[in-house]
Amino acid sequence: MQIVSGGVSDVGHLRTNNEDSFRIIVPLQLFVLSDGMGGEAHGEVASAMAVETVAKHCLDAQENPDAPIFGEPQAGLSDHARRLASAVHLANKKIFDSAEGNPEQRGMGATLTAAWIDGARLSIAHVGDSRAYLLRSGSLQQLTSDHSLVAEQVRRGILTAAEAEESQMQSVLIRALGAHPEVEVDAEEHTLFVRDILVLCSDGLTRMVTEPEIAGTLQAETNPIRAAEKLVALANEYGGADNVTVIVIRLEPGSIKWFSWLRRGAQKNAASNGSAGGKLDG
Amino acid sequence: MAKLSLMFEDKIVKEVPVGSRPIGIGRSPDNDLPVDNLAVSNYHARVYFEGGRLVVEDLDSLNGTFVNDLRVERATLHDGDSIHIGKHRIKVDATGDAPVPWDTGRKVAAPRINETMVLDTKVRREMLQQAAAMGERTQFAAGRIKVPTLIVLNGRTDQKEYMLSNKLTVIGKSAMATVRLKGWFKPQMAAQINQRDDGFYIGPGDKVPVVNGAPIHGPVRLNDGDVIEVGGVRLNFIFRE
Repeated sequence: MQIVSGGVSDVGHLRTNNEDSFRIIVPLQLFVLSDGMGGEAHGEVASAMAVETVAKHCLDAQENPDAPIFGEPQAGLSDHARRLASAVHLANKKIFDSAEGNPEQRGMGATLTAAWIDGARLSIAHVGDSRAYLLRSGSLQQLTSDHSLVAEQVRRGILTAAEAEESQMQSVLIRALGAHPEVEVDAEEHTLFVRDILVLCSDGLTRMVTEPEIAGTLQAETNPIRAAEKLVALANEYGGADNVTVIVIRLEPGSIKWFSWLRRGAQKNAASNGSAGGKLDG
Repeated sequence: MAKLSLMFEDKIVKEVPVGSRPIGIGRSPDNDLPVDNLAVSNYHARVYFEGGRLVVEDLDSLNGTFVNDLRVERATLHDGDSIHIGKHRIKVDATGDAPVPWDTGRKVAAPRINETMVLDTKVRREMLQQAAAMGERTQFAAGRIKVPTLIVLNGRTDQKEYMLSNKLTVIGKSAMATVRLKGWFKPQMAAQINQRDDGFYIGPGDKVPVVNGAPIHGPVRLNDGDVIEVGGVRLNFIFRE
């Protein structure tokens, strides 16, 4: 399998600052996205801290697999999934400690959604209301559960999915990084198939663009960076009420060896805000 | 002009001006001030001007209307009063009492809670408990856990039944499929079953699955007892207690 990916982040039409952050670490096939919250510029600080902490913890663990694990390790998970969950626990602690130590940062927090691909195994760690989607055989499936009050009410059968979309309470989160000294992290694993397409996105996309439109865009545009750009453009066209960040990851059939070796030479490295992309055989 | 501000956790969720027409408050979306919480009756209360004074009247609501913490059937409102309905508070701004003709009153756009906020654990538990206690639609009977299960009725598969414990279930010949089809010419990925917040949905893979006799082309929610036919197998989807 060959993995091609790209990401785009945009401030949107109504906000003046971009509180989203993302990073693609191509050599690890690690994808991290965060949506910050908190007054002044603190949302940006929180999301950048979240993304950098997760990336660094996973990179460090590649060098030193015995690096300490943060949080309660969940049974039955692979090393990658456990490491990813550990990274999210560490990011929570860093943001919480920073907010405690700096009174002007009080209330600072962030969502975090991270995906790590190892061969055909996908590990996901998640807190908040950013999302991971999987497009497989034309069906778009949300892999993460939103940690929002309305989503929790849907899971408990109190609201229908349609009522939740109309609710005025959509921005009320029940879990986020930085709110408490400890956080519950959702960690899970899935098996990937060739031609699967993964998307990580902030709620600035999913509040504006419907799931059929997301699926249609991913099917129509095979270049991951251009697909991410088109999704961001759609969110802005529909109002762009919030910051929008989208990472698109495509699992393509492996090309023959000498050709893929040539491609590897053109590989781009990871970058932060703006757009980033990369290719690597997996 | 007098106005009512619906508050949640010290943030304004919605504001409505009070004109000559009564302001309906309740859970039903056709109210002037809809309050999205199951502790609130569909048509819970209304606020209107009577003889130049602002009045709140409870409409025989189940959980009552409170003004400054006193349960009221009917009460005159003053500037700065708080009406409590369920977990929500409605702040009364009665400055400039003169009612305006309602037909000239421009509809005020409903501001959503724009800034993301995180609920305190205690508040969230209370809200969910209260909502669950009130919820007529609550699916969960106490003490019973329902396990979604696929039972193989006909066809060759690697097991006789499957508990759907993962969010993604693939039916196909692939070694990575959960429900593995056996035999020649079987599709690698015939169909998929995905868990969402509100239930389990079946969607096509390389084949179009048939649910209760009808071919499905997009994700369809599965109900207890549905029969799925795909890739030469028949499966029964049930919630096992």
